[in-house]
Amino acid sequence: MNKSVLLAVTFVPFFMGSLFAVAAQAPQHPMSFFVTSTPIGRGGDLGGLAGADAHCQQLATAAGAGNKTWHAYLSTQARPGVPAVNARDRIGVGPWYNAKSQPISDNLAELHGDTLLLAQRGSNLFKQSALTEQGKVVNGAGDSPTIHDMLTGTQPDGRAYSDNADHTCNNWTSSGPGSAQVGHSDRSGGGNTSWNSAHATRGCSQQDLVGTGGAGLFYCFAVN
Amino acid sequence: MRKFPLMIAASMMCISAGSLFALAQQAPAQHPMSFFVTSAGPGHGGNLSGLAGADAHCQQLAAAVGAGSKTWHAYLSTQARPGQPAINARDRIGQGPWYNAKGDMIAQDVAHLHGDTLELARLGNNITKLTDLTEKGQVVPGLYDGIDPNDHFYSYMLSHPYSNHHETLTGSMPDGTAFTDTADHTCNNWTSEEDGNPPILRQNKGAQAQVGMSDRNGGGNGSWNSAHGTTGCSQDALARTHGMGLYYCFAIN
Repeated sequence: MNKSVLLAVTFVPFFMGSLFAVAAQAPQHPMSFFVTSTPIGRGGDLGGLAGADAHCQQLATAAGAGNKTWHAYLSTQARPGVPAVNARDRIGVGPWYNAKSQPISDNLAELHGDTLLLAQRGSNLFKQSALTEQGKVVNGAGDSPTIHDMLTGTQPDGRAYSDNADHTCNNWTSSGPGSAQVGHSDRSGGGNTSWNSAHATRGCSQQDLVGTGGAGLFYCFAVN
Repeated sequence: MRKFPLMIAASMMCISAGSLFALAQQAPAQHPMSFFVTSAGPGHGGNLSGLAGADAHCQQLAAAVGAGSKTWHAYLSTQARPGQPAINARDRIGQGPWYNAKGDMIAQDVAHLHGDTLELARLGNNITKLTDLTEKGQVVPGLYDGIDPNDHFYSYMLSHPYSNHHETLTGSMPDGTAFTDTADHTCNNWTSEEDGNPPILRQNKGAQAQVGMSDRNGGGNGSWNSAHGTTGCSQDALARTHGMGLYYCFAIN
């Protein structure tokens, strides 16, 4: 590909239109999905959904993708007078692409496996595609340190938990007691291959998150 | 089955929680291997000499590592032919649970392996790049491993065992059953090593096989058993999309 473009530049400078056509064939989907390259650093206390979204926006901006609106893939649980928020309802409609223009998923139904066939096949989100905003692979099972635990607070279908247990580090405000449901960015470990709901953390401190194979990272999606 | 005597021991003999945990930690190593990815194919592309030949290859590889006491079947479907019903890969592999060469559980049962309910399917089984081991306990190299411009040529792949070899023959749909349409998805029931027509992925109307991704990476969805077809059934054709003619073997007993 590169060689042919180079040849075109060298020997056929007249056909600028053709050259442009070649360049335009390269996959140029702007990034609309990433794994945070750095955590906020206070365990499960992300400053609520607003704080988590701001972190997504900040990282995206630093990578030149601040023109989109970014949301964290996180659910919150219902509280008296405050309904639950489902992660799947916060991330637009797709399709989403990573920092290398590779497809992650076409739509919400594929991402979450809303039908049996879709769920059995899975999405295009796996270790080599779940990149940070800087285009880097995230350490997974077998790497040191393993940081594949992605905070989601979410059930496999992308929705908030409805029981009384804590699955969201108190709606992303606790860095002490509580627990958060996490998925695996490499879809390895925990006896399943779930990207968004593999297991719970042992607590909400930064140390607790590290202890089960995480760093307090999470998924960010562009909603537009 | 194995947990039951442990539980009795715990209650009868008042073993401390710490000791019980230690016992539980040792437990996986006690599971003999009942699942592997073939470390090598028979060498004739998608021609495995039918299901019988494929099973015999499983048995031979297993025997070479001391696991020949079990009965091994290839995870492969065949399509219906006049007077011959289809065979579903999922119906050939026993009941489970299955464990890899290191004692990691792959799946508890047929339903868990295939995600027979929406809940099971969303969670998935435990087939990952790190558990999907050969009979020798080796990881099968996957997407972007040993990347090279020639890594989709059979001769290169054969001499570079650490290049991407992740495409795994299954001839199956995601639910583990045979295809029911008239197109070839099984290299003519594992007897063909013809090239495709045309030999281009997703345009091929000729000989081909459905493959899964042993590393769960790539192929559009990372499915372990049904990601896409191939560009044909020769070794060269399988290699074009990073396949070597490897497949899954399960112990049925």
